[in-house]
Amino acid sequence: MAVEVLEPFLKGDTGRNTRGLLRLIILCTIAAAAVASRLFSVILDPWFNFRATKYLVQNGFYSFWDWFDDREASHPVAQLVYEPRKPAEEPKRTRTWHPLGRVTGGTLYPGLMVTSGIIYHVLRFLSMPVDIRNICVLLAPGFSGLTAFASYLITSEMTTSPSAGLLAAIFMGITPGYISRSVAGSYDNEAIAIFLLVFTFFLWIKSVKNGSAMWGALTALFYGYMVSAWGGYVFITNLLPLHTFVLICMGRYSPRLYVSYSTWFALGTLASMQVPFVGFLPIRSSDHMSALGVFGLLQLVAFVEFIRQQVPNKQFQTLLRGLIFVVFVVSMGVLVLLTVSGVIAPWSGRFYSLWDTGYAKIHIPIIASVSEHQPTAWPAFFFDLNLMIWLFPAGVYMCFQQLKDEHVFVVIYAVLASYFAGVMVRLMLTLTPVVCIAAALAISSILDTYLVAENPIPKETQANGQATSDSIKSAADVIKDSLRSTRNPVLGIYSYVSKASVVGAVTTYLLLFVLHCTWVTSNAYSSPSVVLASKLPDGSQHIIDDYREAYYWLRQNTPDKAKIMSWWDYGYQIGGMADRPTLVDNNTWNNTHIATVGKAMSSREEVSYPILRQHDVDYVLVVFGGLLGYSGDDINKFLWMVRISEGIWPDEINERNYFTARGEYRVDDEATPTMRNSLMYKMSYYNYNALFPAGQAQDRVRGSKLPAEGPQLSTLEEAFTSENWIIRIYKVKDLDNVGRDHGSAVAFDKGNKKKKTAKRRGARVLRVE
Amino acid sequence: MRWFVSLLLITLLGLVQGLSSTGSRLLVVIEESSEKAQYSTFWDDLEGKSNNCRGYKLTFESPKNDKLSLFQHGERAFDHILLLPPKSKGTSFYTITGDVDLPSSGLGPALTPKLLLQFINQNGNILLTLSSDSPTPTSISSLLLELDIHLPPDRDSLVVDHFNYDTASASEKHDVLLLPQGSRIRSDVRNYFGGDGTIAFPRAVAQELGNSSPLLAPILRAKSTAYSYNPKDEAEVVEDPFAVGEQISLVSSMQARNSARFTVFGSAEALENKWFDRKVKSVDGRDSKTANREFAKQITAWTFMEVGVLKVGRVEHHLSSITGDAPGNDSVAQLGYLNPTIYRVKNDVTFNIEISEYSYDQLTPLKVDASDALQLEFTMLSPYHRLDLVSISQTPNSTVFSRTFKLPDQHGIFSFRVNHKRPFLTNVDVKREVTVRHFAHDEWPRSWEISAGWVWIAGVWITIAGWVAFVGIWLWSEPAYEQSKGKKMQ
Amino acid sequence: MQVPSQLLSFLLILCAASFSVAATWGFEDATVSVNKKGAGVGGGFKGKITENKALSEPVILGALDNLKILLTTKEDNKAKRPHQTFLLVEDPKSKLDTSFAFQVRENGKGKIELTQKDLPTQLLSSTEPLQVSLVIASFGSSKPYNAKALDLTIEINSGSPLPASEKPLRYGKLPEIHHIFKSDPTSPPKIITLVFTAAVIAALPVLLGVWITLGANLNHFSKAFSSSPIPHALFFCSILAMEGLFFMYYTSWNLFQTLPPAFGIGLITFLSGSRALREVQGRRIAGLR
Repeated sequence: MAVEVLEPFLKGDTGRNTRGLLRLIILCTIAAAAVASRLFSVILDPWFNFRATKYLVQNGFYSFWDWFDDREASHPVAQLVYEPRKPAEEPKRTRTWHPLGRVTGGTLYPGLMVTSGIIYHVLRFLSMPVDIRNICVLLAPGFSGLTAFASYLITSEMTTSPSAGLLAAIFMGITPGYISRSVAGSYDNEAIAIFLLVFTFFLWIKSVKNGSAMWGALTALFYGYMVSAWGGYVFITNLLPLHTFVLICMGRYSPRLYVSYSTWFALGTLASMQVPFVGFLPIRSSDHMSALGVFGLLQLVAFVEFIRQQVPNKQFQTLLRGLIFVVFVVSMGVLVLLTVSGVIAPWSGRFYSLWDTGYAKIHIPIIASVSEHQPTAWPAFFFDLNLMIWLFPAGVYMCFQQLKDEHVFVVIYAVLASYFAGVMVRLMLTLTPVVCIAAALAISSILDTYLVAENPIPKETQANGQATSDSIKSAADVIKDSLRSTRNPVLGIYSYVSKASVVGAVTTYLLLFVLHCTWVTSNAYSSPSVVLASKLPDGSQHIIDDYREAYYWLRQNTPDKAKIMSWWDYGYQIGGMADRPTLVDNNTWNNTHIATVGKAMSSREEVSYPILRQHDVDYVLVVFGGLLGYSGDDINKFLWMVRISEGIWPDEINERNYFTARGEYRVDDEATPTMRNSLMYKMSYYNYNALFPAGQAQDRVRGSKLPAEGPQLSTLEEAFTSENWIIRIYKVKDLDNVGRDHGSAVAFDKGNKKKKTAKRRGARVLRVE
Repeated sequence: MRWFVSLLLITLLGLVQGLSSTGSRLLVVIEESSEKAQYSTFWDDLEGKSNNCRGYKLTFESPKNDKLSLFQHGERAFDHILLLPPKSKGTSFYTITGDVDLPSSGLGPALTPKLLLQFINQNGNILLTLSSDSPTPTSISSLLLELDIHLPPDRDSLVVDHFNYDTASASEKHDVLLLPQGSRIRSDVRNYFGGDGTIAFPRAVAQELGNSSPLLAPILRAKSTAYSYNPKDEAEVVEDPFAVGEQISLVSSMQARNSARFTVFGSAEALENKWFDRKVKSVDGRDSKTANREFAKQITAWTFMEVGVLKVGRVEHHLSSITGDAPGNDSVAQLGYLNPTIYRVKNDVTFNIEISEYSYDQLTPLKVDASDALQLEFTMLSPYHRLDLVSISQTPNSTVFSRTFKLPDQHGIFSFRVNHKRPFLTNVDVKREVTVRHFAHDEWPRSWEISAGWVWIAGVWITIAGWVAFVGIWLWSEPAYEQSKGKKMQ
Repeated sequence: MQVPSQLLSFLLILCAASFSVAATWGFEDATVSVNKKGAGVGGGFKGKITENKALSEPVILGALDNLKILLTTKEDNKAKRPHQTFLLVEDPKSKLDTSFAFQVRENGKGKIELTQKDLPTQLLSSTEPLQVSLVIASFGSSKPYNAKALDLTIEINSGSPLPASEKPLRYGKLPEIHHIFKSDPTSPPKIITLVFTAAVIAALPVLLGVWITLGANLNHFSKAFSSSPIPHALFFCSILAMEGLFFMYYTSWNLFQTLPPAFGIGLITFLSGSRALREVQGRRIAGLR
């Protein structure tokens, strides 16, 4: 019965419409699912991006552009024609990067803030006043929905099977690899960048396919948007030229390619140069030179093609080939020359660290010190991508089968991205989309093959699959009868058993995948970083809230302008939660300043104190996990501080001195003097023995017994220690009132008397005025 | 505005009784009240009975008194302390125990070094007098050690000078030194102890000042031929004197970072009545009267904050471009452009500071002598500018110093800093934080103002013109000749 | 027996008086010698000092030498030990001084040895020769002696530098600091700029010339406008308007003033453009191009 009823909807025009409608509905549900799966727990990091957005919304685009961030809530450039200010109106000024300040407009990617700003104003225009905070919270999930849609589009470009796109969409929507960066409240550049990445690729494919300048221009437009949103745009900048280059080498040059690439390059480069932070990089830095080179090459090739049309002459063509080669080589030489002579900036450090995983650790520890810049552990792949990771190769293989331009693109993308993802955890993000696409291709082809209800009859397949057949044909043209599959294009399964079993299996996998994603998202990626959750023996959850306790203490008990020194990881948190100025924060734009903090932390008190004075630091904050066994503490990060400061003061700080003779990193009796005299060590273990019976002091992270007598501090005094000793705050003493050095002052207070100058030996010391 | 400020200060002065700018409660620690009589003139001078009103409220206490306490409810109970050397020779009272905390160490439980130091840290001033014929309590000497002032290791050693002594009173023992009133210790340092009288210094205790501390300053130094010896051990001949020559400081001062003052006076006896204007005869036979009384006044005046006290009035900074006629005048204030929180790189900025000096009984305009200067630093981490401020105007009781300069071409959080530390003057450390921002996008010169840009600008507009022309031709051109059909537009 | 007694007493008084007047401190046979390390006895400098008469030429004290002074102190030509027998070393420039006590025996024989190690660093580092004088004095009424004995030149040997004596911190006036500004970017000489600008501008006539020689013309103008006037007019004007907009943006407007009209004009360009170009295409198809 039902079959007859459904009949008209599944056949002919109405059929196409219904399918279109269905597809639309499915897509919407997918988007909804994508958003929903990101709402497990909502915490907005009240940190820089959010502050910047608020500033943008309050003060408008231009003053945001010229923003000099000393974290003073007011004075955008508009206000700089000075209004009278009574001390009463004096705004609370708490500053970051004290005392350097930060030219924010020029050192950030404004895309994120501008996006939410626009959304905010649009909603206001539609008389839907929404708090900017909510927009920021929900931006990432919202864009993840769009990403799902984008991956649907790009996948549909790859294959004719409609299901592939939908699969890709749902994969993209719920894969942990992407959720990790886009849960509600994680308000960071990646939130919109991934959508832009995928969509730009889609547009690129589109333009390469139809060779239309319009699509090329659109690609350029979104490329510009991408540039304004995320530093990862360099990935696109190099991937598209590579694609083009490979196509040319495959002898696939076509006017379509020429039009699309030239349009994209010209417009895209201009667009990217509009971002202050990028500025002239596109023509100055080597990271962008490949695009330029390929552009030039393309012109040459086009020229040759043009000539060939005019003169069909074998020798002449070889001559031209030679010419191309020569010109290409020469231009390369020039490029190298410019790079050497310094006109073109050499490859940026981050770029090198992509090729040599050891590079960063030596040359730019500031980058290597970030956990997400470490090489990826293999389990991470399965953890983030689950079953897709083994469908991925299958999908790529299928791209090889019908090797059209867009498939070439996918293949290249796959190769590059999987390499990068192996190098940096963070770049897992760029791998995820292509994995989704490939996996979708694989699964869809399986389903398409096994889900056909009635046995396949050759002509019928011809009928319902016009596109497939000619695609196959073209593939056949490309690869001359080398693949068996292309020789007899009639595919089909006859036994219901196999169909059922395979389909069943695949379905189970998919269900498992969903389960996995949900579990990972709820457990791994939705816990706020400031609150530590731990399980008590009885399994109940115990919340460790030292961070907020400490920040609250700072907020309540220190003067507004008190400068807090801490390692940069906590900069945004202190700025956001404690609302106090910090020396350095998570935006690591000034390596030297961070190195200074590192030096202060890793030197002797006598060395550190002048540094603290110079930067008028009032409080020093350290994170110490020894009591609780919280491994993410400063002693474990300490070596990075040492390395970073060693990078600037190689002769004063030497990493070797912090290791024992046997090259161990220890905090117990074995620890080297340098280690035990370092400010960080002292601050971490000061008074720690008091918690334990004599000589029983135990560090639960390092799992080592501490020296019997704890370190002594003379230039700092303990101000606050949180419940579980995770956060310890020290106050920097002022100079001694009567001009003694702190050591003797402390000694005097302890009551030991200075020895009288006994019989003097050697020359007298005369007092000069 | 300014007259108002000064008026305020004057009224404030009215409130403060006596001369000292910090207070008039003076504790005199004297062991036997019988000795009070010997210093009566000194007391009178302090209380200001006889001459002009200094109006200190003297409280005489014995160190033995157990109820004596420098603090009350954690606050200072006195503004100044004057310590007279304990007379009793008996070692019963002074034990030589090393521990400074025990009351037995000299001056009783109320005057342990810690308490005295705390007194200083709470802005209390101390005038400590020593005397060679009563050994210095260990508590005192250890306190002095903390301040890097050294006393002879063996008690009751004294200073003699066979070339400058009072032949009238000490023809045999030469232990009454005759010295001219203090001269400035450095050419650029103000001298508060000057005068052309001679001071008689009977049986003084030598002090040696450590070379490191900038807080110390000698007020009265011995002559190059003087030396300190111990009459008991070194009666015959002196082999290795504790201190010799100019290095012997007879009166030395320490001004703490919080400007609290601490003076060591080498000879308590010099303050006794009998040495106030008394006839003395120098070696070369000149007769003269001692200037001890005046000197005592100078010393106490300085120690108890009657002179050399600086007060900062208004501190202003503003763009020099938007000022009215004179910089820092009230028109600027009315414009409301005073003390902005942010400037731009390369702004021209004017900084004004109003400082007055308290001398004896009123605020006077601060005068900086030519060899010295009041300096302004514009600093971030390290000073980018350090400029001498020039005095631009004076009021009855203050001087306004000012300087106009161009902000450095470096953005950041800077601070105007006037950090005026000088010997014998209270510390002035004024700090005003301002933000210096970078150029905004529309504050750069426009492209056509840069001659090098003309080429590119021309290029742009030429291209546009060409493009328009091309459109025209594309739209409305008729092929010139058939065979070139469509070629033109390739 | 009266007279002699009076005489005696008188004599006594006399000599007492003469005593009290005459008694002065002094010294005799004072020898100065500098023993060089290595060079045997009498290797170095030798000299004699007499009262109130300093050595003419300065004595040189090397890093390893030691200065030795022997003398006999006397009170009125009678060898006697005074309480103070000092060697007063003074730096004439910085007016810093310090004294060194002689070892004097009962019979007034005194000796002192001095090496660079005994001298305070501030004196060691002084540029001018140090002024060394003898101070002999004691209690009582007799006249003390203080006179310059010799000039002492310190020879710092380069091998062993002075013990570091950096100037201790003293509060006072500090040297002025003036920030050194980065120099402003410079433009090349105007002539060159103008030449190149001219060249650029010249490119336009050249281009037009080339087109005209290639036979570009506007003959179809009338035809185009007769067939579809509005689209052509709108299209061309909208393009001009767009350029005008760019000009406004370049000179005065900001982004938000520019974008809305840009969208409007863009729309017009798109619509009218499609029509106009269709007309052009029509002509091409008609073989008129």
